[in-house]
Amino acid sequence: MANPSAPVSHDEEERVRHISASRYYVVWVALLVFTALTIFTARGVHIPSPWHLLVGLAIAVVKAALVALFFMHLWDHGGTTRLVLVTALVFLALLIGITVLDNATRFELSNPVNDRNERFMPPGPDILSPMAVPRGGRLPERSQGAGETGGAPARPGGGH
Amino acid sequence: MRTEAEVTHGGEGVPHLAHHYSNLEMQAHAARLGMWLFLATEVLLFGGLFTAYVVYRYTFSDTFVAASKLVETHYGAINTVVLITSSLTVALAHHFVEHRQSRKAALLLAASVFAGLVFLGIKAIEYTHHIEAGELPGRYYSYEGLQAHGAAMFWSLYFLMTGLHGIHVIIGMGVLAVIAFRTWRGAYDDGYSTPVELSGLYWHLVDLIWIFLFPLFYLI
Amino acid sequence: MSPSQATTPLATPEAPLYNERNYLNEKSGVWSWLTTVDHKRIGVMYLVLVIGALFLGGVFAMLVRIELLTPGPTIMSAMTYNRMFTLHGVVMIFLFMIPAIPNVFGNFFLPIMLGARDVAFPRLNLLTVYLYLLGAAIALWGMIHGGADTGWTFYVPYSTTTVTKVAPILLGAFILGMSSIVSGLNFIVTVHTLRAPGITWLRMPLFVWSIYGTAIIQVLATPVLGITLLLVAVENVFGFGVFDPARGGDPILFQHMFWFYSHPAVYIMVLPSMAVVSEVVCAFARKNMFGYKAVAFSSLGIAFVGFFTWGHHLFTSGQSTVNAGIFGVLSMFVGIFTAIKVFNWTATLYKGSVAFKTPFAYFCGFLFFLVFGGMTGIALATVALDVHWQDTYFVVAHFHFIMVGGTMMGFLAGLHYWWPKMFGRMYPEGWGLVSAVLIILGFNATFIPQFLLGNMGMPRRYYSYPAEFWPLNVASTAGASLLAFGFIIILIYLLISLKHGPVAGPNPWFSRGFEWITASPPPTDNFGPRNPVYTHGPHEYDKEASPVPAGSPPEAPHAH
Repeated sequence: MANPSAPVSHDEEERVRHISASRYYVVWVALLVFTALTIFTARGVHIPSPWHLLVGLAIAVVKAALVALFFMHLWDHGGTTRLVLVTALVFLALLIGITVLDNATRFELSNPVNDRNERFMPPGPDILSPMAVPRGGRLPERSQGAGETGGAPARPGGGH
Repeated sequence: MRTEAEVTHGGEGVPHLAHHYSNLEMQAHAARLGMWLFLATEVLLFGGLFTAYVVYRYTFSDTFVAASKLVETHYGAINTVVLITSSLTVALAHHFVEHRQSRKAALLLAASVFAGLVFLGIKAIEYTHHIEAGELPGRYYSYEGLQAHGAAMFWSLYFLMTGLHGIHVIIGMGVLAVIAFRTWRGAYDDGYSTPVELSGLYWHLVDLIWIFLFPLFYLI
Repeated sequence: MSPSQATTPLATPEAPLYNERNYLNEKSGVWSWLTTVDHKRIGVMYLVLVIGALFLGGVFAMLVRIELLTPGPTIMSAMTYNRMFTLHGVVMIFLFMIPAIPNVFGNFFLPIMLGARDVAFPRLNLLTVYLYLLGAAIALWGMIHGGADTGWTFYVPYSTTTVTKVAPILLGAFILGMSSIVSGLNFIVTVHTLRAPGITWLRMPLFVWSIYGTAIIQVLATPVLGITLLLVAVENVFGFGVFDPARGGDPILFQHMFWFYSHPAVYIMVLPSMAVVSEVVCAFARKNMFGYKAVAFSSLGIAFVGFFTWGHHLFTSGQSTVNAGIFGVLSMFVGIFTAIKVFNWTATLYKGSVAFKTPFAYFCGFLFFLVFGGMTGIALATVALDVHWQDTYFVVAHFHFIMVGGTMMGFLAGLHYWWPKMFGRMYPEGWGLVSAVLIILGFNATFIPQFLLGNMGMPRRYYSYPAEFWPLNVASTAGASLLAFGFIIILIYLLISLKHGPVAGPNPWFSRGFEWITASPPPTDNFGPRNPVYTHGPHEYDKEASPVPAGSPPEAPHAH
């Protein structure tokens, strides 16, 4: 942005003026087609996991790109606004990626109790799942047996 | 670094031009950049919730798949079409303002507000169904049909994310309604259409977020 | 701006010594201040607000230190003590550290340095003041009604289940975050769109580069804090949420989301201080900045790389070792950019002509504390060492070295450097140096014992401690008292100088910073009727032939 007083050239402004409305209709139809496609690939056919996730996300990304580029005019307007959106998305990807990497590479028992790690639970009453701490911060009285004191989930299938 | 002077003191006599900008193009560009920066913050605001979603989907994959079958796909599909169409009408409205057809533009903006209303109505129906079935967040979860690890978490995320999205829909509707009214009164034309453009950008963001919420909660 | 003004307020040799019609008195009355869109008035309003916040946070700090004078209970119960350190952190970080330099000096000087007449969105600028007030009011209401006892980091599951008034403080912090976001947004757009002709990106003052980097962090990071705090508040108040372990929640997820903001937040706190220091170093060494581009781009480097390091706050929390390894390495990288700045500032001093005035004294403190605080940061980033130091006073001392030793010194340097420009009057130099010495000595006495305490194993946020830690705690409290005393002296002489200080003139420091071309105090439209045009870069002390802003070369008889 060498000359601070004219960030968008006059030609660009003129070009924006002369876009016909038909491009919006075309994009709208494309969005509807992709919506139908994503419903079909999720409910109409069976795609094995985890690919079904990727297909769904890919279609969502395409739809989002269409909205951002054409409805929101990123296709026409210059670099800085594109850079803003791209930067936000890159940092969001960083946040999500590294956080879920933590869960994926952790010592499995320090993840929340789920279907994958519950088989590592030792037999007997469930003493590893944290009890729900009731509002007010005071722990409930110790009761006999595997207490349902405030919501410790009973392990499905029981101990064995 | 010295002070030669040109007596270009912006703002004298040019309508809508603020005193500290030298021309309208610069001001419009600044407004657009400011709005995009704000949209980036909204992306990151929802991004925190998406982070939670990804973490818990990774942790509870099968439960999430089972729970998403309980969310009514047909309502979600209708809402998606509604929002996409409202994005179209908003984009067209800005187009028509730039081509000096303000009345058409105002009607299109009003249609977008109506679409938002339809969206919220359908979500209200969905919420009612979920509340009745006991598919509620966190410790209020009581749906007997799915008692597995992470079921309550799915619904916590569902209500938090669609709820925050719904709040943004309401805000967007309010903004668009005000702009629609002013467009009808002829406040904007090809020389100055920035408010229409900026409120359109906000509405498109609302649509963008839904484009991701729909598959994540309804489909996969 | 009326063109019929008798004298041009631009600081040419004919410039008035004290600009009679300036932004302070052009319009009068409380309403004109409450509805102002003038960035300079907004800067002054923020100055009043952040100084109030500083003193409130300081009161909490002194209460904490007094309680720690004895190993057992001293003046309060344990629950109250928990509230005190929480409120100290919340007030200092959200009401002072994050807004202070950007919203006071950034607001006041960024437009002037760019030759602009205001920021990009003046009304949004005023909105940030009201958002700040609203957030502060809600948080204060929560404090008065008992306050939170979770620590400023609000870790779950305690913060989601505690009965103390966490929710209003979280809501207040959320609104303060909105103020921060809008402010950052404003500065970014101003830098992109309102630079005067002749100011290219590589001719911007270094202050602007660092504030720009700060603004980027504010815009990208703060929303994540917003949603995280909102989730905690929702879970605390309504009982449904995503962090409850009994419902499958992961408390470490909170820590990831929280620190994704809060680590870049510390760069929001320190980058503006570096911004001020870049200006002060050039002015008081009378030399061009050594390595302008390196310093400029390192601001962006800190802003971006600072986002890659948040997991070093989670080394002992249960994070995976893969993540710990990644974050340990990345945390080392961010130190490189600070080092670049430190080396460049030092090189600027070499063969410079140093005037040892109060701003320069604060720069000396800043440099020493930033280097040692930063090095302890790198040490803490080493996972194996952090296992020993995590949650001890070593960490507390480290971040106070950066916050107080770094940011606070920068704030005070900027306050003294720009005081004559903002208010047209000079502070008393003798008292300035005295209080600088008091603050630097008091700071050392307060926080060096804390490094030792932490290394010996004293945990942070603890109400009581074993008797072997007693002497160092007493030393730390004594130092804190000295520090507080220094601040009070500064407040007193600055207030007195507003009325009784000698008139400063447009450029008492003979600085070549762009902001000194305008009169002191500046007129409302910054430059008078003529737009400034720039033909040289900032900080150009090697071009002796070009006209010096206002007055005469340093040898003039009235220089002091």
